[in-house]
Amino acid sequence: MKRILTHTTTILAAALLASCGGKGSGEGKPAGISLQNIGSDTMVNLAQAWAEAYAHAVPGVSVEVSGGGSGIGVAALINGTCDIANSSRKLEKEEEEKATAKYEGKHPTEHQVGWDALAIYVHPSNPLNEISIEQLSEIYKEGGKINKWSELGIAAPGGTDEIVRASRQNNSGTYHYFREAVVGKKNDFKAGSRDMNGSKEVVELVAGTPGSIGFSGIGYRTDKVKVLKVSKKTGEPAVEPGIRSTLDKSYPISRPMFMYTPPAAKPEVESYIKWILSAPGQKLVIENGYIPLEAFAPKDAK
Amino acid sequence: MHSQSPPPVTFGETPFTRSKRRREKIAFAVFAGMVACIVIPLFLIVGYLVKEGAPLISWDFLTTNPVGGMRKGGIWSALLGTFWLVGTSLCISAPIGVLAAVYLNEYAKDNWFNRVINLAVVNLAGVPSIVHALFGLGAFVLFAHMGRSIIAASLTLAIMTMPVIIASTKESLAAVPRQFREACWNVGATRWQTIWHIVLPNSISGILTGVILQVSRTAGETAPIMFTGAVFYRKIEEGNFFAYGLADQCMALSMHLFTVTTQVTNAPHALPFAIATVLLGFVLMVNLTAILLRSWLRGRKKW
Repeated sequence: MKRILTHTTTILAAALLASCGGKGSGEGKPAGISLQNIGSDTMVNLAQAWAEAYAHAVPGVSVEVSGGGSGIGVAALINGTCDIANSSRKLEKEEEEKATAKYEGKHPTEHQVGWDALAIYVHPSNPLNEISIEQLSEIYKEGGKINKWSELGIAAPGGTDEIVRASRQNNSGTYHYFREAVVGKKNDFKAGSRDMNGSKEVVELVAGTPGSIGFSGIGYRTDKVKVLKVSKKTGEPAVEPGIRSTLDKSYPISRPMFMYTPPAAKPEVESYIKWILSAPGQKLVIENGYIPLEAFAPKDAK
Repeated sequence: MHSQSPPPVTFGETPFTRSKRRREKIAFAVFAGMVACIVIPLFLIVGYLVKEGAPLISWDFLTTNPVGGMRKGGIWSALLGTFWLVGTSLCISAPIGVLAAVYLNEYAKDNWFNRVINLAVVNLAGVPSIVHALFGLGAFVLFAHMGRSIIAASLTLAIMTMPVIIASTKESLAAVPRQFREACWNVGATRWQTIWHIVLPNSISGILTGVILQVSRTAGETAPIMFTGAVFYRKIEEGNFFAYGLADQCMALSMHLFTVTTQVTNAPHALPFAIATVLLGFVLMVNLTAILLRSWLRGRKKW
């Protein structure tokens, strides 16, 4: 009896180990090459769409996409842990220097892959249709004068006059850009904003909160939020974010989207970037709600 | 009130027995209510998840890659990723954890050093998973140059589950009566012979239960794998169980659920619920195996 018991034990333990041991030792790495693509949250859905389509176009190459924010992508570029870093902002000087030091004096290559218009979202019940950069600045910056919807001359949407400000966490490229373009580099954000962890979360917060306002990439637009027209100064004509208005710069808050590659990149990286900058890649930019490079913009686009 | 007429039968109802029975009823109601407080929300949660997610769940959902910006298609690459992470981490944590527990319970002397080790194990079990994630990022991904990979993520998960495996294994080893060991030593057996022939066979059910229950924890964790090996998206060969290698990054169910809810716009309403249902089903199946295994092994116990 004891022997039987011991044997069952041994067999069971062996089976447990073997069942995962088989998996663990499996050298079943698929043939082909995989590229690490990491960074901007604004671009992660687009990067995923590219990766998915590229897997069909060039079956041997698998692109692994991670998000996290432009800061994460840039850090990965500096640490040498990625093949392509997505960033919705330019490299800062300090980062450029660090990256150059890492790659023994050679600079990482910058590729502009499209544009993102930073849209200002409000709840659909909000009667406001347009807003100026000055007003946005007063809403968001520390010491800004606008705290209530009535100060913008509209009735409080949903009965709450207080403006609920949705913002982003501070390693987000969107946060950096908004600070630079709207709040002002020297100013801080007003305390008490809701700093969301992802582009979609901002839009969802706005969709569910009548008294809120938020900024996020135009690619995250849904039919549950309203996109405001934006003017440079109060009183000037406000412009709707769109392909034309972004490309001719009449929409005041748009920014280029970049992919950075290390100096001596694999040839597969180069062909991937080339594909992104060609017609099929740029078509996906439009399909995902972003703005393509000038040469690929449809002639009849707004 | 009726004190003038004493009860005719000795075991009849007295005010004392009546109040006793009333208190018993109250106690029963309170305890049953507490159980309901636990069980009803559980059924509501599971029922709600299944109801919302059911329309999407099919064999194709389990065996195809996500497509269309992760809004359509299935969850194959995430499901397989979770299998790999759980399997690999268990292969690392189970042997080390069980053997360490055997040492701590059977060999180690009761001195200050071993007491510190025991204390450390108990404390490690309470460390939040995000701390393990940072440790994994520093130790495995960067320092050991593993890069973000399945092996780095599995090691992180293994470090996270090991203290619990050690604790539960020690518990079941300690449950084997001391007389068993003494009897064995008295017939001249060495410590190892005692462990192998007496202690382990008598505690295996508890050990396996502890190990298997860690599977559900591993499958559900997001934080430790987010920094160390899980990706937002990756396409793999459908139907091939070896589509991942140890050095690859992978998708995982828990992470996929997180990204679909926080990042993918206009995803179908049922999609996150369907992913959650699959994750829950996976954990449930593993736990069921643990329960069956335990009751089968218990039936063979000798005391």
